[in-house]
Amino acid sequence: MATTYLRRFYSSFTAHIVDIPPRLLALLLTLLLAFLPVAGISRTMLLILTTANITAIFAASWDLLVGRTGQISLGHALFFGVGTYGTGMLFYWLRWPLWITIPLSLLFGAGVAVIIGLPCLRVKGHYLALVTLAFPIILTGLILYFRDYTLGDFGIWYLPEFFPFLTYHEQHIAEYYFTLLLLAVSGIILYKIANSKTGFVLVSILDDELASKASGIDVTKYKLMTFVISGVFATLAGSVNTHLIVSGHVASLASLGIALSFLVIAYTIFGGIGTIYGPIVGVYVLVILDRYVLTQLLHVGSSWRFISYSALVIAFLILWRGRGLARFVTDKLEDFEEARDIDERGPRIWKTYKKKEKE
Amino acid sequence: MIELVESIIIHGAITSGMYALLAVGFSMIYGVTEITNLTHGCLFMIGSYVYFFFATPYGGIQLDPFLALLIAGVSVAILASVIYRLSLDPVVEDPLSVMVVTLSLAMILQESTILIFRSYRRRVPSIWEGALEMLGKEDFLVIGSVKTTYSRVLSALFALVLFAVLLIFIERTKIGRAMRALSQDREVAMLMGTNVKRLSMLAMAISALFAAVAGVLITSATGGGVTYPQIWTGPLFMAFAIVVLGGLGSIKGAFVGSFIFGYIENIFTLGIDPFMSEFMNVPKGATLSTAVIMGTMLVVLIIRPKGLFGKRVELED
Repeated sequence: MATTYLRRFYSSFTAHIVDIPPRLLALLLTLLLAFLPVAGISRTMLLILTTANITAIFAASWDLLVGRTGQISLGHALFFGVGTYGTGMLFYWLRWPLWITIPLSLLFGAGVAVIIGLPCLRVKGHYLALVTLAFPIILTGLILYFRDYTLGDFGIWYLPEFFPFLTYHEQHIAEYYFTLLLLAVSGIILYKIANSKTGFVLVSILDDELASKASGIDVTKYKLMTFVISGVFATLAGSVNTHLIVSGHVASLASLGIALSFLVIAYTIFGGIGTIYGPIVGVYVLVILDRYVLTQLLHVGSSWRFISYSALVIAFLILWRGRGLARFVTDKLEDFEEARDIDERGPRIWKTYKKKEKE
Repeated sequence: MIELVESIIIHGAITSGMYALLAVGFSMIYGVTEITNLTHGCLFMIGSYVYFFFATPYGGIQLDPFLALLIAGVSVAILASVIYRLSLDPVVEDPLSVMVVTLSLAMILQESTILIFRSYRRRVPSIWEGALEMLGKEDFLVIGSVKTTYSRVLSALFALVLFAVLLIFIERTKIGRAMRALSQDREVAMLMGTNVKRLSMLAMAISALFAAVAGVLITSATGGGVTYPQIWTGPLFMAFAIVVLGGLGSIKGAFVGSFIFGYIENIFTLGIDPFMSEFMNVPKGATLSTAVIMGTMLVVLIIRPKGLFGKRVELED
């Protein structure tokens, strides 16, 4: 009995993972990331990778909204900020532990996504982009105006940490694994959504909204749904990020800044828009390049880093039309796949059963 | 109370006139090339910095303010046309790419300004300071119960004159007619033999020129007379809100919209808690006015997507 399951698992694994080089590569990279702390990399590098994990969730959520449905959001930092301030203010006023405040701020994020999504559904293209760009500014204005409740531009300090029972160094490793797990889970969920039947509906909306409407698809429902899913994951990134060592346990207005909204676009376009795995790759490459190579090794100022990011985005858009790094790599890898019959490419489990039936 | 109303009327008129100049460029470039120019705010900021460089002792050469204004306008116009040729022209077909490219350009311009001028707040002198000194007049004006300055009123009038010049240019000249044709129907205009590329570049240059002049006038006359690298988001959203209210691509709409939003902003800045807040050097209501303006814009978009004077807009097909 057990051997049957094992064999089924093994054949399923070979059919779904080993036979497809891009997936094998993804698995190997994940394993590499999981073994890095064991190999004893420096504390700085751990912090950089923790940032990368969180930013990757954020970038993937942006990609689901923009790359899949074509609803251009230039102010995705809004959700990041809602997450940050949701959990921050709940802690500040009610002193609730973070295991309650983070899920509650996810609810806030969903609510904000619905409130913003409803008017945003009425507008498209240029209008939508600029309206979404405006929302973080509106929230920043409100936070500054109600400074008695939100502490304005001071930020909310001394937020609780995730693992207070561990030592300082252990906390770094624990937070790294925690964020990596979060990234793996949310990345798989987002990827599955993007490649499910729903995902194809979303792409049909991107391709031709009128045609998908004519095919009987409730475009409004799907658009709002994507807004909420994307918003919730971005909120998750924001709310978890505030409680990490790397952000200094502060909820500040930087989480609503236009720089963050811009960076997420840069990562996604560098990695490959519309793929979900693209932004994750883009975040890892660019964050390590930015925080380690440029900052730690070469000591480049933040202005030059931003300028090089922006130039990179423009060059990628003009030269490669936004195909991105990850797409380029997977295309190359898929060339290595042996050309076989479609029948053979299917899951092998079913084949073994068929053979048995014949026997 | 009556003093408050008077000051809102006068200050509102001053800011509105300058906002018209800012919004008309944004509206024009959208009308002609369908580019949502997110660098518009940055061109505004660069304009004020170039003016600051030439009109103050900072740069080593202190020119006449009007000459500095001219240099600012022309150099920003050249910069914008180079930007258009190099980075916007290849992607002009795709709205997402256009917006991402213009946002990236905005970041590049902002960070370059930080590199060159540092991120301090810089005091921008008024263009009328020299002229008023020559006349021997104190830069101080009282209208009714409202205290304001000559330079503010003159700047607003100057903005309105420039607006009128642009209006005449678009309505009366051949190039202006070609631009109107492009914004009405792109393909037919191309069939009639308009050189779209060159015309788009020219439209971008004119729009940038007006953004730069608006930058100089607005930064010197409102908000404490300072400029800083991150200032660009405010004017960008203001221009966008005005243009949405008036109708994208409509110049009359930009004029009316700028007066409506100029007054809304002043009502909130002056009406709510006119005392300076404790830590920031801005009136407390000013932080709220952006939120209110954006809220108004959202309501307009939902109720009447084409704006007050806009042509038909395909928001929902």
